[in-house]
Amino acid sequence: MVKLRIVLATAALSLGMAGVAVADSVTFGVQAPITGQYANEGQGMEKAVKLVAKQLNEAGGLLGKEVKVVSCDDEGKATQAALCGRDLANQEVFAVIGSYTSGATAASQPVLDRANILQTSDGTAEQLTQKGYNLFFRNAPPNSAEAEFTGDYLVNVKKYERIAIIKDHSSFAKGLGEATAAAIEKQGGNIIFDGFITAGSQDYRSILTKIKSENPDIIYFSGYYSDGGLIRAQQASLAIDADFVGGDANQNVKFAEIAGKAAEGSVIINVPAPANLPYPEAKQFLKDYEEAYGESPPSIFTLTNTDGMRAIVQAVQETKSFDPETVADYLHGLRDFPGFTGPLGFDDKGERLGSAFQAFEIQADNTYKTIYPQQ
Amino acid sequence: MDIFLQQLVNGLTVGSIYALIALGYTMVYGILRLINFAHGDLAILGAFIGLTVITGLAGSGGAPANWIVIVAFVLAILVVAIAGVLLEFTAYRPLRDAHRLSAVVSALGASMFIQNGIMLIWSPQTLTFPEGIMPATTYNFGTVIISATQIFIVSVSFVLMLALYLYVNKTRFGTAIRAAAIDQDAARLMGINVNKVIVSVFILGPALGAIGGLFIGVYYRQAVFDMGWIYGLNAFIAAIIGGIGNIPGAMIGGLLLGLFSSLASGYISSTWQQAIVFGLLILILLVRPTGILGERVANKV
Repeated sequence: MVKLRIVLATAALSLGMAGVAVADSVTFGVQAPITGQYANEGQGMEKAVKLVAKQLNEAGGLLGKEVKVVSCDDEGKATQAALCGRDLANQEVFAVIGSYTSGATAASQPVLDRANILQTSDGTAEQLTQKGYNLFFRNAPPNSAEAEFTGDYLVNVKKYERIAIIKDHSSFAKGLGEATAAAIEKQGGNIIFDGFITAGSQDYRSILTKIKSENPDIIYFSGYYSDGGLIRAQQASLAIDADFVGGDANQNVKFAEIAGKAAEGSVIINVPAPANLPYPEAKQFLKDYEEAYGESPPSIFTLTNTDGMRAIVQAVQETKSFDPETVADYLHGLRDFPGFTGPLGFDDKGERLGSAFQAFEIQADNTYKTIYPQQ
Repeated sequence: MDIFLQQLVNGLTVGSIYALIALGYTMVYGILRLINFAHGDLAILGAFIGLTVITGLAGSGGAPANWIVIVAFVLAILVVAIAGVLLEFTAYRPLRDAHRLSAVVSALGASMFIQNGIMLIWSPQTLTFPEGIMPATTYNFGTVIISATQIFIVSVSFVLMLALYLYVNKTRFGTAIRAAAIDQDAARLMGINVNKVIVSVFILGPALGAIGGLFIGVYYRQAVFDMGWIYGLNAFIAAIIGGIGNIPGAMIGGLLLGLFSSLASGYISSTWQQAIVFGLLILILLVRPTGILGERVANKV
């Protein structure tokens, strides 16, 4: 029995070494919700990574090696995500793009880190970069970055003097609203009202009437588009003469529908939608994606994940190494890399630097026009 | 002062809608001693039917003509009234002689059935009403702004409530309804067709509720399939504080609830709005347990 085990172990080792020996290829792993409620996003991620791999191979590969892609479906669930992490580690991938949700990302982080595998994800929950995983890089700006951009925009750019903040009780909106309030105060702004609505309760006239009595020049709403649209419409019906600025969850075609005529002139702060990206490389990639798959990428996060992969590729090409630590060191020092979603860099915790946020104004025909930063 | 008046206007409008829906709860309770939990969902069914009619007849271009809006209201009332009668026949009539709790469970089940039915037939997403259903004119009194929609809702609600009050108190059939509410058996002995009374209550209540629901749709320009729960709960509470089973009580309860809600949010804190409103309601019930206009009803032992 023991002899059998030794034979099996030797066979496995030699197979493994054979795998290492055939090192003309490097494998990228995709961990994404390919099925389930976020399947749209997960499949977009997989397609985008495969497209980048294909383009690299057509240009001669990565440092001469063929780029392969394997995927694992985590269904957007933490339990599946941990299994995916193990699965991808067993397949000895070089780097993992994933996952779409913060929860699934957090579940696979420890597994991948122990297996010495680089990881990049669009999850925006703050704690993803606070656990000391040296090989993890967040490719989408976290909520705190949006708050800083908003604070800067409201106080320094638009110079509003009486800011009213409305949040709702969800953890996202509350977190974003509080962070924005702190950022506004840091910039020296004057907050004249800071309150909550109960999301979904439809009637916001009473809180708006109270805000009206404080004479704001801008109302900032950190919650979701379904309430944002109503707030904007009711603000107009109460003739409150103030600008409306909404956080990223207000960006949805429904906002303009719900707000009706009042939607025009509302400003929303978010990373740009793929179609609005101003960079020529982004536009080119969107065209390539459409050609390859016959559809547009589902969201901006497809592109941020692509940027994460491209940053890793850049790091490998510059350091001429596949050693994860070396690549990670390069990435920690990366600044102003021309990403599809804006200038990209990482700090020493793996947090994305370079804000890709924009403020866009809704036009009379319900399209968005970027008003800051000017292009 | 102007802020106070503005909050008053806001509160009255919302309160009128609550009152219309609360009337359905109170009438059914008066006759059957049953809380019709499905009533809130029937009310907002009116909003969805109205939306379908308006978008179907007017298409998507521009503001719908006045006649289209009227047709929408009429159809909403008709369909919801029929739904109300069907509800009575399927969910409540078979359980007339059963334990009280069975009817309550049946009511909850009916509520979920209607809610999910709406979700499946229309959409789980929020649906928007086209603009321009009501003229967008507003009237300014100082800094108080009253919109045409608000005037429309409040005035139509008051007219309807007055009409219902006169019907129940001054007509023969209204007397039959009141008699059946006091004692069904005695009413039957007096020659009143109690089944007819019950069916008519299930027509009147849901019809008013449908008008309230369509008002919600027009006022907020939105319809979501799970609105029925929130509005139903609020209207039910309004009926209780006014005195459940008492028709003027439901009207007062609805208006009070709307006013409390608006003033609490405006003057105390929007964060604690719900808590304050329900706290006030608890206070009212502590002082007057049967509600503001409720009568002490002797319990049969």
